[in-house]
Amino acid sequence: MGIALQLLFTGLGIGSIYALVALGFVLIYRATNVVNFAQGDFAMLGAFSMVVLCIDLELPYWLGILITLVAMLVFGALFNLAVYYPLRNRGFQPVIISTIGASILLENGVLAGYGPRPQTLPSFFSFQGFSVGPIFFDSQYLLILGVTVVMVTLQYLFFERTLLGKKMQATSQDKEMASLLGIPVALMIMLTFIYSSALGGLAGILVAPILFVSVGMGSSIALKAFAASIIGGFGDVTGAIVGGLALGVVETFGAAYISVPYKDAFAFIVLVVFLLFRPQGLFGEKVAEKA
Amino acid sequence: MLNWMISRIVLAAALSMLACFGRAAEPLKIGMAAPLTGPAAEVGRYQTQGAKLAAEEVNKAGGVLGRPIELVIEDSQSTNPGSVLAFSKLAGDKDIPAFIGPTFSTQIHATAPDIQRLGKPVMIGGTDPQLTHMGNPWLFRFRPNDTYSARVIADYGVKTLDKKKWAIVHSTDAFGTSGMKNLVEDLKGMGVEPALVQGYTNNSQDFTPVVLAVKQSGADVMATYMTLPPDLAIFARQLRQLGVNIAWVGSPTTVATDSLKLAGPALYGTYAVADFAADSSPAAKEFATKYEATYKSAPDYHGAWTYDAVHVLALAIDNAKSLEPQKIREAILSVKDYPGVEGTYNFDQNGDGLRGYNVVKNDNGKIAFIKHIDFSE
Repeated sequence: MGIALQLLFTGLGIGSIYALVALGFVLIYRATNVVNFAQGDFAMLGAFSMVVLCIDLELPYWLGILITLVAMLVFGALFNLAVYYPLRNRGFQPVIISTIGASILLENGVLAGYGPRPQTLPSFFSFQGFSVGPIFFDSQYLLILGVTVVMVTLQYLFFERTLLGKKMQATSQDKEMASLLGIPVALMIMLTFIYSSALGGLAGILVAPILFVSVGMGSSIALKAFAASIIGGFGDVTGAIVGGLALGVVETFGAAYISVPYKDAFAFIVLVVFLLFRPQGLFGEKVAEKA
Repeated sequence: MLNWMISRIVLAAALSMLACFGRAAEPLKIGMAAPLTGPAAEVGRYQTQGAKLAAEEVNKAGGVLGRPIELVIEDSQSTNPGSVLAFSKLAGDKDIPAFIGPTFSTQIHATAPDIQRLGKPVMIGGTDPQLTHMGNPWLFRFRPNDTYSARVIADYGVKTLDKKKWAIVHSTDAFGTSGMKNLVEDLKGMGVEPALVQGYTNNSQDFTPVVLAVKQSGADVMATYMTLPPDLAIFARQLRQLGVNIAWVGSPTTVATDSLKLAGPALYGTYAVADFAADSSPAAKEFATKYEATYKSAPDYHGAWTYDAVHVLALAIDNAKSLEPQKIREAILSVKDYPGVEGTYNFDQNGDGLRGYNVVKNDNGKIAFIKHIDFSE
């Protein structure tokens, strides 16, 4: 029993990392109908920014986090202008290739600038965690779970209760209609990129103490996050969260009770099963092409 | 005008004479494929620095066959295709008589067919035992292979630490699997059946299931063959968090510079086998001092084996008095009792130069040399 609870805790912890990155995928997909393959690298950038600010420049954590998030907001705007905007009327393929290119550029840029050596970022807390009976609660995992809950709540309130959120929703549902109603579509999309970039950066800041900071850290998370968002129903915010958490729990339990070497396989088996039998995902709506 | 022309002619004559002198001491090129970019770029830095240090020393002592050595370094991009490409570029240069190859076993496997076709000696640092036992006469290994690391882990754990209940954790890649197989075999020879053999794939973000398996197995000693420092560090930290503090004897990654930095206190008190330990011999100590003075950082085994490889190769070519591949091969194989920094080299007919490992301990972050276990007959 203790073992199962321990697995559940770490499964949810790692799952909420997937969920945070998946959230970024989903938001950009909803706004642009394009998968942003550089989403994982946003996390990598956020983590590296923390290393530069808090380790190399020895700033306090709160200031490092603040500067990183602001920098990620600016970066999101630049990313939108450079990677998406020039190709926005060319269909989705050129944009996807463009995001893949951006991903390669970011990873190798950081590699050239900072070197291949993985870096450490000490935990945000002076204590590693605490034990209740046989279960160890890692303080960093608890923080990630907490932040995920807060982000999901804020996001829900923003999209459902504010005018700006509703405008962004309208843009994602039908760009032509939205622009006919006087919604500045390009601005809405830029805001989405800005927000997704900050969200990715936040995920990077949070996982840095657990997974260490390396150039490839983002892409390995992004792959799972991508699977999570498909399982949840691509384009659905709740789905991304549930999909991420479910994926984390499934692979942790699968690894513990069936086979550790096939841990990654469990995640992708679940993905394949969903693609075969429920391609719209857990929460996605069945899309019928209109005649 | 005439003056100008004369000065030109004199200049041209002087230049051509210079070129003639240059030809007399034309450098001897040694090819080297190392990961200068990609995830293993740090390894590549150690490799090239070790080799360059050795080349400088050789040149200071008069070079090889009276010619200075010049390293021609190509980037292997940390990948198998990159290694093959780098090697084929080097192979295209007819003036290169011998090469320093990759550290990673899988990249050597990828390049091996091309090496056999070319038929020139290549010094390697991969520890998969298979490499020197597949009928390729052109591979010469400058690190002890993994049959020896497994024997040393088993020997130290069973005989010195007196532990009989073993858990083995290994990466499922070529290195981890072959290490695990050898270790299981060696333990069997000592009458020990491991309580747990647990594989995992590289780049795992969470090791909770592995840690719980180790905990449940009731083992009192753990051996690891882990490939990547970040994996090792995450595993070590989760191990401590979940209260596992049994004796741990690990493969060389356990004392790699990156692992020590990432894992910190989680690795204190662990043992490891290491082919390079600065305190293991006078030669190693001297190398470590020189390396630190030159590059302002401590050397590790990636730099140590290339350093030895350049020196042994220079010695062999001098002994062979020829650049003919077959002659160089014979000269390397007849190197006996060469005091390298990784150990004492005695090449066998397979091309294996070393047959022993050092046992070291992580003493609060400092690597302490315990003993050298050698299986040379």
